[in-house]
Amino acid sequence: MNLHEHKIMIVDDEPALRRMVREFLQEEGFGQVVTAGSCREAEQVFRREHPHLILLDVMLPDGDGFMLLQKLHTESEVPVIFLSARDEDENRLRGLGLGADDYVTKPFLPRELLLRVGAVLKRVYRIRDNADEKKVIQLGDCVADLRSGVIRRKNRPECGEKKEREPEAGKESGRENSPEEVQTTEVTLTAKEYAILEKLAANRGQIVTIDALCEAVWQDGSYGYENTLIVHIRRLREKLEQDASRPKHLLTVRGLGYKLV
Amino acid sequence: MGKRTVLKKSVTGIRIFSYSVFTFVMIAGLTLAVNITFFILLALQYHQVMPRYIKGEEVIEELTPTQDGYRLSDRMGSQLDEKGQWAMLLDETGRVVWSHGRPEEIGDSYTVSDIARMSRWYLEDYPVYMRVWEDSVMVVAIPRNSMWKYSIEFPISWIEYFKRIWYWMLLFDFLWILTLAVVFTRRWSKTREQARIEWIAGISHDTRTPLAVALGYADALESGGRLSGEERQKAAVIRHQCMVMKELIEDLNLTSRLEYSMQALRMEEVHPAAVLREVAAAFLDDAGEGTLEIEMDPDRQAEGIVLMADRQLLVRALRNLFHNSLRHSEQTDTTVIRLGLRDEKRFCRILFADNGIGYSDEMLRQLNGRKSRQPIQNIRGLGIVCRIVQAHGGQTVFGNGAQGGSFCEMRFRKRRKKVSYRDNTSLQHYTID
Repeated sequence: MNLHEHKIMIVDDEPALRRMVREFLQEEGFGQVVTAGSCREAEQVFRREHPHLILLDVMLPDGDGFMLLQKLHTESEVPVIFLSARDEDENRLRGLGLGADDYVTKPFLPRELLLRVGAVLKRVYRIRDNADEKKVIQLGDCVADLRSGVIRRKNRPECGEKKEREPEAGKESGRENSPEEVQTTEVTLTAKEYAILEKLAANRGQIVTIDALCEAVWQDGSYGYENTLIVHIRRLREKLEQDASRPKHLLTVRGLGYKLV
Repeated sequence: MGKRTVLKKSVTGIRIFSYSVFTFVMIAGLTLAVNITFFILLALQYHQVMPRYIKGEEVIEELTPTQDGYRLSDRMGSQLDEKGQWAMLLDETGRVVWSHGRPEEIGDSYTVSDIARMSRWYLEDYPVYMRVWEDSVMVVAIPRNSMWKYSIEFPISWIEYFKRIWYWMLLFDFLWILTLAVVFTRRWSKTREQARIEWIAGISHDTRTPLAVALGYADALESGGRLSGEERQKAAVIRHQCMVMKELIEDLNLTSRLEYSMQALRMEEVHPAAVLREVAAAFLDDAGEGTLEIEMDPDRQAEGIVLMADRQLLVRALRNLFHNSLRHSEQTDTTVIRLGLRDEKRFCRILFADNGIGYSDEMLRQLNGRKSRQPIQNIRGLGIVCRIVQAHGGQTVFGNGAQGGSFCEMRFRKRRKKVSYRDNTSLQHYTID
């Protein structure tokens, strides 16, 4: 099932908010949106429509969303995003482990809500994204392919590395007037380098702190790997950059972390 | 029944018992206080309530021996009659030698035991008072059922003991009453605080939903392609103002909850150096090219500190400091923010400094908790920084740098909690108390 074919139910006692969220969802492409203004109505709509995701307000005129969630979860494991209007709810949502998939505090930006809706649907219903495309990163004359964990560079042959001759991109499109072939060097990423590059690529253009990189690589919530990280970064630069001592893509943000541009 | 249920029930039982004991003690104390007040008032009223009766010595003064016996002045005689009193004089043998107004049932001769009995209590239910006059005894009676008489005696040792302890008793009473007053006042004030917090929470809750609608539509208008550039600009202003209101509501809520210690802290292991980097990186990402410069200066030892703290609140405090610096920086220059972390013997210090316009003297007075001579200025965001640090048992110091700009030092008292959890690092764990 396509992402936008999923049915979404909005439960909120404020008609203007229901209407607004429905409009945004429909503009985004979600064709099936149903609404309810109370716990009772929500139960009826839920049994009739069988939605794939519920946007649930915490405070409803005839009960609270937490109780309704528990009741609905006895019938189905439908994912729920809470719409909360109180800071205190955040504590409850975080502390009690009610089984909500996410929560948004009012007021919220529509883009933020839509992103969360998409993320929950993709996660719960395992919808394949165009993630594969995102796993191929073009960095100047270098291509990092995270699917296979290799970096392909042009015109930099090195000893011991696999070399192959590839037709130039123009040749595939039928241009036969350029017989020139470009030498491509392929280097393999180590597991640590892969994890670092994957984290940086996921946040391309943004600073990734030393701590976030350590967490991504060593995954034990611990610190103290900064020096080891520097070594891995240097090796990664040697594979990615034309000149590792003057990096153009994997930049250092002094005292904070690194950025992939 | 599970172990947890039993434990929960017994905890509830203990709580109910404690409340009952507390209520009982409170009621008993209050009753005692009311009674003491009542007796004091009664003692003050005693002389007004007590009728003025004629005493034996007054009768003796008006009694004159004559050849026939004794003669009472007419004035005293009429006064005795007026008050319903009577009097008689007994000689050394117990025989009545003179009387005035003596009822018929009262005999004219008394033995020593009769006299001993009447000297303490009553004579034929008449309360009587006696006065020795030479060899005779003057007996003056007041009307029946007008006076309660009882003889009370105490051992001298008890009186001595009482004399030694009476001021301690007074002091105890005073402290008890003071405690009651404090307890009642605190309960009353807590109820008021609770009502205020709930009111603020209610208002902010009711405001958020309409604000969500306003913010949502403003954002949609701004990002949609239907409006002209100028109209889109207006929509952007509305969206921005909605975001400002959102922040105001959050700040108001958080301030009131922190002020009255109603904010439950979610304590967890926090690596302050990582938090500093995370917040700094987020601001640097959002800042325009060349508008923000961040200098990190954590000392090597401080890198490994782990605190027990509410991570989200610490992030909030740092974000507020960043916002404040960016808002009040000189517009022409790049905002430079220096972040530092220091590990000291008993404290962990987070340092934040900027190159902005600095704080006014009045703001510094307010931020550093000194009495202000002027009305409170708008220090909402920085006030939250103070409250967050205080909620963790820490202290804040705000000031202006010698070379310009302002600084904030957040000092957390640290307590060693446990040894490092990884062998290849020298992490130190502290908890904020």
